[in-house]
Amino acid sequence: MDQYDDETERYLREFRPRAIRTLKVAPKARNILSRCVAAAVAAALLAGGLLWFAHREAARFQEAAKIPPPEVNVARGRRYESALALTKLALTDNEKLESLLTEESRKILPAVRGEQSTLKVLAKE
Amino acid sequence: MRTTRLTPEEVKHLYQKHAAALAAYACSFGLDHALAEDVVHQLFLKLLGEKAFAPQAPVAYLYRATRNASLNLRRDRWRETDLQVTESWFTHPSGGHDEVFTLQNALKELPDEQRETVFLKVWSGMTLLEIAEVTETPLNTVASRYRYALEKLRERLGQHLKR
Repeated sequence: MDQYDDETERYLREFRPRAIRTLKVAPKARNILSRCVAAAVAAALLAGGLLWFAHREAARFQEAAKIPPPEVNVARGRRYESALALTKLALTDNEKLESLLTEESRKILPAVRGEQSTLKVLAKE
Repeated sequence: MRTTRLTPEEVKHLYQKHAAALAAYACSFGLDHALAEDVVHQLFLKLLGEKAFAPQAPVAYLYRATRNASLNLRRDRWRETDLQVTESWFTHPSGGHDEVFTLQNALKELPDEQRETVFLKVWSGMTLLEIAEVTETPLNTVASRYRYALEKLRERLGQHLKR
């Protein structure tokens, strides 16, 4: 380099590049592994919760299935059917109706002919 | 050949020594100083990044990367770029803005290779031999680029230089 080059270089060195702001390095984000672990834990908790809920609902359903259905009062129907049948019988076969009513009354009314019948017991007293 | 990544201390040292010159170099491609700072910061953050990254010649890499990033940014933002020199990327002890703007304009008119050589030699403190090594360019070519660059700068800076 000749004298002029040295002189030019010296002059150039008088200039200083303008200072720039400090480089700020942001703290490192959590690494990928810890994010994956957190996601897996969250997924496992969610799946566990769903399983528990499903199991509980199934148990409740089974409990409900064990409760017997309410009894249907068939006596009334039977009675109605019986009355209908008796009406029919009254129209077609009166004798049979009489014998049937007699038999039925024996079942309902207290017995008076047996050894332990109500009348005999009262009479003894 | 270097095979390991730069340590944070090495990156810090590079930043302290070259960051300001790199920002000025980025400005010479038409970026404003704030954008030039961003370019330089991105480069250093990349050096500090998690991926193993080990340029064989870090200083040369920084200059080349700054040049490429600056050209890309200027291309992407060509509508926003103010081609007039409106801010200084250098300071001078005299505090005179005329001298600074004259130098900046003169640097912008240099061919890329010559401008890079001037920055590496004058403001990054490298010898011509080191520049030749890191840029993988023959020493004679580097010396010629530098000499031509100084000649052009001297012509442009003439009146200030003679004071």
